[in-house]
Amino acid sequence: MPRFVIERDIPGAGNLTQEELATIAQTSRDAVASLGVPYTWVNSYVTDDRIYCVHEADDAESILEHARRGGFPANRVSVVANEFGPHTAELAPVAASAPAPAR
Amino acid sequence: MTLARRRGATTERLVALPAWPYPEPVDLLERDRERAVLAAAIARAHAGQGSGVAVTGESGAGKSTVLATARAAMREPANAPARFLIGSCDPLWTPRPLGPFRDIGEIAAAAGLGPLLHGLHGLDGLDGEDLALAHLCERIYEVLRDQATVLVVEDLHWVDAASVEVLRFLARRIEAMPLALLVSYRDDEIGPGHPARPLLGDFARLVSLSTLSLRPLSVDGVRTLVEGTSLDPERVHAVTGGNPFFVAEVVKDPSRPLPASVRDAVLARAADVTPEDFEVLQMVAAAPDRLDDRVLPALGVDLPTLRRLDATGLLTRARGGLTFRHELARRAVETTIPPGGAPRLHARLLAALERIEPRDPAVLTHHAIAAHDGARVVKYATQAARQAIYAGSHSEAAAFFETALDHQDAAAPAERAALLLRLANERYMTSRLSEAITQVSATFPLWRQAGDPSGLAAAYNACALYEYYAGRRRQAEAYADRAASVAAAPGHELRDATARAYATARATRGYLAYMRGELALAGQCCAESGRAADQLGQGELALRSQLIQAACAVADGDGDSRALLVEHVETARAHGWDELVSTGHSSLANLDVEQRRHPEAEHVLAESLPFTIERDIPICRHWQTAVRSRLHFARGRWSAAVEDAEQVLEGPGMPLATLWPYLVTALVPLRRGTDGPETHLDAARRLAEQLDEPPRRLAVFSALAERMWMTEQPDPLVTEAAVAELPELAAAAGSVWAAGDLAVWLARLGLLAERPFLVAPPFQLTLDGQHEEAAAWWRRAGEPFAEAMAWCDAADPAARARGIELLDQLGATGTADRQRAALRRDGVSQLPQRPRASTRGNPAGLTNRQLDVARLVARGLTNAEIATRLYISPKTADHHVSAVLGKLGLPTRRAVVVQADELGLV
Repeated sequence: MPRFVIERDIPGAGNLTQEELATIAQTSRDAVASLGVPYTWVNSYVTDDRIYCVHEADDAESILEHARRGGFPANRVSVVANEFGPHTAELAPVAASAPAPAR
Repeated sequence: MTLARRRGATTERLVALPAWPYPEPVDLLERDRERAVLAAAIARAHAGQGSGVAVTGESGAGKSTVLATARAAMREPANAPARFLIGSCDPLWTPRPLGPFRDIGEIAAAAGLGPLLHGLHGLDGLDGEDLALAHLCERIYEVLRDQATVLVVEDLHWVDAASVEVLRFLARRIEAMPLALLVSYRDDEIGPGHPARPLLGDFARLVSLSTLSLRPLSVDGVRTLVEGTSLDPERVHAVTGGNPFFVAEVVKDPSRPLPASVRDAVLARAADVTPEDFEVLQMVAAAPDRLDDRVLPALGVDLPTLRRLDATGLLTRARGGLTFRHELARRAVETTIPPGGAPRLHARLLAALERIEPRDPAVLTHHAIAAHDGARVVKYATQAARQAIYAGSHSEAAAFFETALDHQDAAAPAERAALLLRLANERYMTSRLSEAITQVSATFPLWRQAGDPSGLAAAYNACALYEYYAGRRRQAEAYADRAASVAAAPGHELRDATARAYATARATRGYLAYMRGELALAGQCCAESGRAADQLGQGELALRSQLIQAACAVADGDGDSRALLVEHVETARAHGWDELVSTGHSSLANLDVEQRRHPEAEHVLAESLPFTIERDIPICRHWQTAVRSRLHFARGRWSAAVEDAEQVLEGPGMPLATLWPYLVTALVPLRRGTDGPETHLDAARRLAEQLDEPPRRLAVFSALAERMWMTEQPDPLVTEAAVAELPELAAAAGSVWAAGDLAVWLARLGLLAERPFLVAPPFQLTLDGQHEEAAAWWRRAGEPFAEAMAWCDAADPAARARGIELLDQLGATGTADRQRAALRRDGVSQLPQRPRASTRGNPAGLTNRQLDVARLVARGLTNAEIATRLYISPKTADHHVSAVLGKLGLPTRRAVVVQADELGLV
């Protein structure tokens, strides 16, 4: 299932309390459950005026549907084309003169 | 903080959604004229010149579609694209106040409206601030003024009263705004009392607004649509009546047998839907506005279901929820809900809606009624009523209170009484005084049952005021006295509530006494009220007593007290005590006009009248308009006087305010020598008797005396009643001016015997035979008719001729001719000629609007400046200025500036 990064513009998001986040999380989970299609809310990252969410779904339409049901804005929805992290470096081709990778 | 979505903003950016909730515009047949009109309106908006178009037609005629195509065809200049804003009205039991505007993101944000009202304590983002409707109008105006905008408001047949006020506000200013206002409605659903009527009246009247009526398709049109199918155009046209929606439905599935009705056509599309899915359709149909997306989880509607329902083509996503593409489709599905099933459906919807914030009490009330849930109806209808009051929609507030009362199930008497009292107040606010009185009276036994003396006293006090506004003094005084005695009765602990009720009742009684000139009684009542108020720390009540006492002093002729009265009004304003401010204005303006301080009166009214409109205080608005009518009348501006008088007299209104309007509408035609309403003087007389206030009774007698003098027909009301009652009436405090006026008329009729009473200075001069001095006095005061009559009172024929000339200038042809006849009888042969109509300038003929323009011209403003001030286009300003110059008989604006003082324009 593709992954999506969703940007939600919410002024003052950084000031949300834990309680408020808990309520929002419950609403989100209810929305996911109501969809009736395979869907995973992976995680969300809160910045001052925007929340970034990572979801897995079959298509962007499901992402938008979830947003509507939760009452969340979905200002930008982007398919994750690829993922990488520190571990990905190990797959890099080894050059002849390169030193041995440190352990 | 809730993550309330700003619907307008996000809908446009969500990927897979159509931003426009209307069906795909196909080839629009037979709508070329309408499309051209709409396109022109939009183009003009880009050019900065606003206009409005109303589209009407039966359901399914294609109103939404034609508006959609207008948008699609918009050709915008790249550097300044127009905004397209859509609001709609919903088929709720009682409409949501400001419903269409709440849905429009930009407007809602600027006007401080949440998508739905946020709690009861303040509007979204403006806690505690009571957004008066006038402020809202201003803010919405600001938003729309800066950028070219197309504002669409659909389904006006479901509109609420507050939104109508906003739309009328915009319509009056639209010429000078870059706004295309496009509205739609079903004309057969707008009856005589409908809130949208005044707006439709504007559309009929104002030049920049027009109405388009969509006709059904012709057979040829149907032929084009059914081309390529085996359908017979004549038959299709016969069955569908040419209704575009119906025809389109038929064409979508040409192989099926012709449905007999729209309902059948719509339901045919849902023929393949499973029963569970069909129940979802019914749920969407049960929601009058839309099925909010956020209740889908609670209702168990999943995404695959929505995808299946999408195939029927009946639904669309709009305004944050699911809705039918067309009202006809919604109604068709709604009819399939079995009679027993509807309450259950609505109960489910209600339960789901209660779990999301913010709530819309109007929508919740709608569902609670359909769910037969009495307790919830009372709860939400009361909230909705409060919301309506904030929005200034009193007729809707009344409807909500009535709904709550209808569903109140064996309530505690005090609760029911409180609701009835609030309903009564809304009836008063919509000028339905007799209903208000009936409803307040219904609370009396309830308060007694509840053993609540302060409630009973408050109810008696409210009744006293309503009776007074209805012109019934005796009843008003009785209720005020009863209120005080109930509140002060021993055996009840003197709680704050009862003490407050007592203070209020005494203040009311004091006010009534003041209006009758019973200054000693007024002083006593106010002292008692003030003492109680001080003890309670009730600043407003205390100030009220002081204000009334200051007014008493002014009425009694104490000039210094006027400054004190003004000061009290200012103090009230500083505290935000609107009703007290307005009451103060009413008294001040009335005293100024009575005591002939006309420039001061103009100044007060210029500020106070808009205040009554802004702060929604109907009794003061009527009263002050009546005072202004009298002021115009005294200053010789008779057209404006009649304009104001007719405004007070039309509609139910407040009888208390109608006295001078009756006199003005009777005397102006009399003086002009034209026909006037026969019954008005009689109506004024009866009202004056009921009111039993000396200055008013004297004014009526004066008018009757004037009529007798004009018609030379003896009137026993004058020859007997007036003569007999004059001494006593004149002795009342505050009556010296009115008594003087009557005394002078009686003298002209030869009916004045002795004069053991005081009269005001100008009348004293006339009665003493000092006519030239009297004329000079009236000239200084700015009363041309009184001045002219003073000249005519003199013995010298030259003076009398001068008076006649003045009367002619005023347009008082009737009076002038009467004076001519008198001169002839006295043997004077050289009479001043009647001037020809064309040479006459007639300042008396200026309407209120033209007076506004004249004043601005007198201050040297250009047409462009005048246009900005009055929210009209420069071209309209030019027309007004021409009309003004014509009526004043002046050649240039400069002449107006030069003669401003004389014309009374400063």
